[in-house]
Amino acid sequence: MMKNKALITALCAATALASPAFAETVLRLDEVAVGELDPAKASDYADSILMFNVYDTLVLPAQGGPGHTPHLAAGWEVDGSTYTFTLRDDVMFQSGNKMTAADVVYSVERMQALGAGLSYLFAGVKAAAVDDTTVTLTLETPYAPFIASLVRLPIVDMAHVKANSDSEWGEEFLSANGAGTGAYSVTSHNPQEETVMAKSDSYFLNVADVAPDTVRLRYGLEPATVRTLVAQGEHDIASQWLPPEVVQALAKDGAQLLTESGTGGFYFKMNTQKAPLDNVNCRLALSAVFDYGTAIQMIAINDDVSGGSPATGAIPVGMFGANGADMAQAQDLDAAKAYLADCPYDPAEMNLEISWIAEVPLEERFALLMQSNFNEVGISSSITKLPWALFAEQVSNAESTPHISQLFVNAVTGDPDTLLYGMYHSSTPGTWQSPEYLNDAEVDAALDAGRTATSDAEREAAYSALNARLMAVAPTIYGFDRQSVFAASNRVKVPALSDPAMAFGLDGMGFSFRLMEMTGE
Amino acid sequence: MIRTLRILAANPLSLLGLILVCLITLAAIFAPWIAPFPTHNGAVVDFLNNNRAPSARNWMGTDLVGRDIFSRILFAYQISLTLGVVVLAIAVPIGTMIGLLAGYIGGWLEMILMRIVDVFLSIPPLVLAIAMMGVLEPTLTNAMLAVTAMWWPWYARLVYSIARGEREEGYVLAAEVIGAGAGHIAFREILPNCLPAIITKMTLDMGFVIIIASSLSFLGLGVQPPTADLGSMVAEGARYLPDSWWLTVFPGLAILVAVFGFNLLGDGLRDVLGVDE
Repeated sequence: MMKNKALITALCAATALASPAFAETVLRLDEVAVGELDPAKASDYADSILMFNVYDTLVLPAQGGPGHTPHLAAGWEVDGSTYTFTLRDDVMFQSGNKMTAADVVYSVERMQALGAGLSYLFAGVKAAAVDDTTVTLTLETPYAPFIASLVRLPIVDMAHVKANSDSEWGEEFLSANGAGTGAYSVTSHNPQEETVMAKSDSYFLNVADVAPDTVRLRYGLEPATVRTLVAQGEHDIASQWLPPEVVQALAKDGAQLLTESGTGGFYFKMNTQKAPLDNVNCRLALSAVFDYGTAIQMIAINDDVSGGSPATGAIPVGMFGANGADMAQAQDLDAAKAYLADCPYDPAEMNLEISWIAEVPLEERFALLMQSNFNEVGISSSITKLPWALFAEQVSNAESTPHISQLFVNAVTGDPDTLLYGMYHSSTPGTWQSPEYLNDAEVDAALDAGRTATSDAEREAAYSALNARLMAVAPTIYGFDRQSVFAASNRVKVPALSDPAMAFGLDGMGFSFRLMEMTGE
Repeated sequence: MIRTLRILAANPLSLLGLILVCLITLAAIFAPWIAPFPTHNGAVVDFLNNNRAPSARNWMGTDLVGRDIFSRILFAYQISLTLGVVVLAIAVPIGTMIGLLAGYIGGWLEMILMRIVDVFLSIPPLVLAIAMMGVLEPTLTNAMLAVTAMWWPWYARLVYSIARGEREEGYVLAAEVIGAGAGHIAFREILPNCLPAIITKMTLDMGFVIIIASSLSFLGLGVQPPTADLGSMVAEGARYLPDSWWLTVFPGLAILVAVFGFNLLGDGLRDVLGVDE
């Protein structure tokens, strides 16, 4: 007996020695703080990365083209304002609970009850479970891009939340723990420092072995730190907020450049309630004097990759209502002087406050460029650096909102409605997206028409009219159409951010870790 | 004066300090004439030449919007020196007056004044300045105010300790015996004996004021762009290390040279004026 035992032990040891070593693969990336883990409060890029990996949605944007494909849903039918979804019956939450229609209803109601993040997308939606795998979502008012907005409705594990929390919506629990069906589960979370996620073994879709086993998402790293970490092989994907020079330096050292484009822009938003920008001619003058060409040069990484392309109007190229690429905005000093002549304020007495967000160093350069452009027509200005939190607080009332705010804004569902409605509709003033405080009946009408139009042709017409009106009233200097650029090591392949045929038309979705491949380099 | 210079010149380090301080002061005063790109102190951008390494055209390279760093450092010295001079010109008389009154008159006045001084000294200087700048708008004037608010107590403490010792001296008692008034004794008898210590401390403090002002602008609370300032230049450049090293290294060296120069000069003056450590 003793002999047998010794033999077995020896055999086991030999087998262990002979097996190939499958080292755990770790993906390391960074974003700006804070990482909001509660999916009903998710709004910015870091939150989206967490949400898309820990939770799933009923539909997903189609890869490499327009439209949406079923995901947690097996399919759907539309009857007027009622959408009926049939759910997959093989989906398990990370807790081991089975996903049912009741979880979908709970997720919609939770979103509405908390009223945070992007909950406004679901404000007028009534959810009802028909049976375990059928759920209906009924809209109060018609909303054309409703299917698109479902990419922002993560499904939460109701039973797990209720078992771990005394409150109905489990806010405290979900801000520190995950409760989704996602391919990655949260192993530790500190919203200011780092979230660590591990590949879940109960995911309902096949996840390739080459997908990272562990993901470390760190927050608030300094550009110089990221630069050094990547060079030392201790970091894999840098955030899009690195200044172009740092991305250039990383690319020169052999880093690959990943890109994500098409759903947003970079905007200089003018406070239309504050003199002298309460006058349309003064705003048009500033729009004409801005040096768009230099702005494009500033964001170029190399001959092939750039942080954006010229804006052709208020709507990014590729969306409903966008102008053609041949209508790129350009500086026009003569036009600027003509508009200034019709501006009732004396340029010599203007002192425009140009703000920039402290966390995005590139914006300081745009502020300096703008200041120098304004000088060319005799307008003086001052530059203010605002940390994001302070900026968000200041824009909550028109009085304290700076004359000019610089912002990257993207369509949170990929549809132009979620880019433009929040920025320009008079019912949504004073959010970080809308420091313009625009109040224009024609703009409102076009935005409403874009929401309720039933066909693509009608939507195209509505957004074309909106684009023309937004160019005429000029609440914003439309800087450029944005393309996010991420410097990455060669230890990871990200088809969704490098192959247009695999790209999702939705910001942040390219960071689905389950679709990434660790190369073992 | 000539004797003082001669003693200073005898010590090579003090002489070096004197030369550095003179050079910096001249550079600051004549910046508009000697800077290769005098307009680069203001709202100028030149994106064709941005982020260039040091070259014959730009001795210290250019920054991220194409401005000449050497020219900006010369202009930044103007700000640093102005700040140092103004802060000390306000802080020294206030501190000296309070120290003198507390030290010579003593009694309840000493109690009250020196406890106020203690309160100010108990708050870390940079924290006090940051708190003030947080409430006020970040401008050059407010930066001066904030730094002044944290500087005067040190002079009050210095003058107080000297005045307290001096008031027991024979010449003070003699002046009192012949009927001199308190004002005369404080300002005409005791103050001249405090001057060497005050002058030495002022010279040493110029360097420290420059560091504190640079720290404030490093944190984004000092002079605002596009005005050149050494602290904010270091802060902006730090993001681009190690590739664009010239953005940080030269403004950093400029701070080092200024502080080093004033410290060496201060040390030399201390020896010349016979001030105890």
